[in-house]
Amino acid sequence: MTGKAARLIFWLGTLVSAAIFLWMTYDFHLQTPKYTHTDKLTEEVVAGKKVWHKYNCNDCHTILGFGGYYAPDMTKAIYRLGDNNIASIVQHPEVMYKNSFRKMPQLGITEPETRQLIAFLRWTSEIENRKWPPQDEKFVEAYKLRESQPQKLDKVHLVLQACGGCHTFEHQGRNVGGDLTAIANRITYDRQTLINYIINPQSVRPGVTMPPQDVSLQTAGVIADFVLSLRSTKEVKQ
Amino acid sequence: MKTIEFESQRVSLWYFRLALVLFILQVIMGLWLSINYAFTLPQELVNVFPFSTAREIHTNTLVAWMLLGFMGGTYYILPPECDRELYSTKIAYLQLIIFVAAAVTAVIGFLFGWTRGKPLLEIPFPLNALIVVAALLFIANVAMTIIKAKVKTALQWMLLGGVTFLALMYLFGMPFYRNLNTDYYYWWWVIHLWVEGAWEIVTASIMAYIIMRVTGVERKVVEKWLYVETGLFLFTGIVGTGHHYYWIGAPDYWLWWGGIFSALEPLPIVLMVVDTWMHVRERKNPIVNPLTWYYIVGLAIYHLVGAGLWGFMHTLPPINRYTHGSQITVSHGHLAFFGAYALLNLTIFYFAMPRLKGITKYHDTAGRWGFWITTIAMFMLGLVFGIAGILQTYLERFLDIGYSTAQQTMMFWFRVAFGVGLVFLGGVLTTIWHLFTLKPSDKLAPEEVVVPPAANI
Repeated sequence: MTGKAARLIFWLGTLVSAAIFLWMTYDFHLQTPKYTHTDKLTEEVVAGKKVWHKYNCNDCHTILGFGGYYAPDMTKAIYRLGDNNIASIVQHPEVMYKNSFRKMPQLGITEPETRQLIAFLRWTSEIENRKWPPQDEKFVEAYKLRESQPQKLDKVHLVLQACGGCHTFEHQGRNVGGDLTAIANRITYDRQTLINYIINPQSVRPGVTMPPQDVSLQTAGVIADFVLSLRSTKEVKQ
Repeated sequence: MKTIEFESQRVSLWYFRLALVLFILQVIMGLWLSINYAFTLPQELVNVFPFSTAREIHTNTLVAWMLLGFMGGTYYILPPECDRELYSTKIAYLQLIIFVAAAVTAVIGFLFGWTRGKPLLEIPFPLNALIVVAALLFIANVAMTIIKAKVKTALQWMLLGGVTFLALMYLFGMPFYRNLNTDYYYWWWVIHLWVEGAWEIVTASIMAYIIMRVTGVERKVVEKWLYVETGLFLFTGIVGTGHHYYWIGAPDYWLWWGGIFSALEPLPIVLMVVDTWMHVRERKNPIVNPLTWYYIVGLAIYHLVGAGLWGFMHTLPPINRYTHGSQITVSHGHLAFFGAYALLNLTIFYFAMPRLKGITKYHDTAGRWGFWITTIAMFMLGLVFGIAGILQTYLERFLDIGYSTAQQTMMFWFRVAFGVGLVFLGGVLTTIWHLFTLKPSDKLAPEEVVVPPAANI
């Protein structure tokens, strides 16, 4: 090969690749409103993105798969955890991860910041990124199903999704608020009181640490039925 | 063997020394990160010094010592390559002071939560402005030295092109992007186009120079290889950026373009191994310091394994779907950065530092221990991270067992990683101690044919 041919390879390779790349960048900008729903990209979402940066969340958590690998990916976190769980976690990590093998720092995030962060994560969760990460897809489907038709849900699934952020059930879920079977055997509430308790715990037991749950009356009813069904019946001695 | 030819080459010594100090800090932070994974830390400690802070120090010191090595290396090879002194040694020192001041302030700032919270590019705006000033001073100094030189070589222009490309790409990481997807689109313009573009050009140029000097192979041959390699690096690397855009919400054709071009990315590295090997075999000079040659060949092979093979393994979309954002990326990241760039910097240091001290043949026992310990320990570390990553993806993404279970099984492997990391730190300290206290060897050096650098074209 001559020196001239080598130079030609250099310029041709570089320029061809750069041209393709720049064209694809142009097209990326044309298409990004469609893939990321920029019409929903409100000031609240942008404020939430600033909160995400301010507390350096991204150096422990990945988002879209990028960042630190020390904590779960946040791309679809809304579907996995729901608004209330995220709020509880970011404001009281020391409580939520009291029994966990891995801790999250108490960052001092304010309430308005928490709301903005949730708006940001909700917007992020709707980015059309080919159903990635794969392990969260089941949460996405369950969430959408739950939103559309709560009466048809598998109860165990529903309870684990909604309550599993704090309660365990058959060794699954995060153990902050106690095991559901144990609770079912402890409480003396009837169905309606339990529904009231789920929607606003303070109205039934002032001072309790459980946060109000953002669920419809119908969903609360499904959960209450499930919890009450866990009560063990007394064995009949023969 | 001559020592240094031009007095202004001495500016590079402080770049090298500071780079090595930052390297130690980076490794210590890495060990702390592995402790975070391996054990449960108390909440009080996590509150004041979280993983995120340690990680930003680990990655930013990495970038800083790499850049210091590149800049110092450039200042070292430029005078003989241009056959004149540097345009200004004052600018070179001023730029170093600004750069290091910004880096030190950044690390202290991180401890107090002063951060932009953007992985690898966490430095806040005022410090970024300082970095830009330092970069402009550097490029101006390099460009002026080249322009004022009587002899012009391809290598000079390649080096100038590489560092300018590097500085230019940094700008894309500086603005605040409202849209997360666009944010990460341009984040990769910095990170990917650095490590698989600009940094490769700088590496290829510096290595071309060092190989030419130590082997005595003709400039014409070396420069021809340089053109072909950088051409292929850029051809595959630029569109290859697409392998980061599979899951960010981008059109489908990125899967194809990104996948195919990035699958070709090992090609130029293979060429680099071949040409290094050929030049070493066809050398006209005797081997004076075997350790320097270890580093040259070690760099070529490790570069191919860490960046090429490990990258190739999970660059195709159907595989990447499962491995993206897992410890497998950590494995690849460590092997690639160490294999391609840490070894490049160490090669530069072993080439330049004895010459700067006027030592022809150095005593190299400690240096050999350092070389073998660091290279083997890092390879082990890559394997350990790889096992953790395979476990993680298998448990979490194939068996659909929860995140915590997958992470808990990894704790054991991170205890292993911590142990291997300690060995690595030992190797690094040995190497650095050796570099700081180079002593002439008792044995006489064989006569060397010195190829006049730029004059023989």
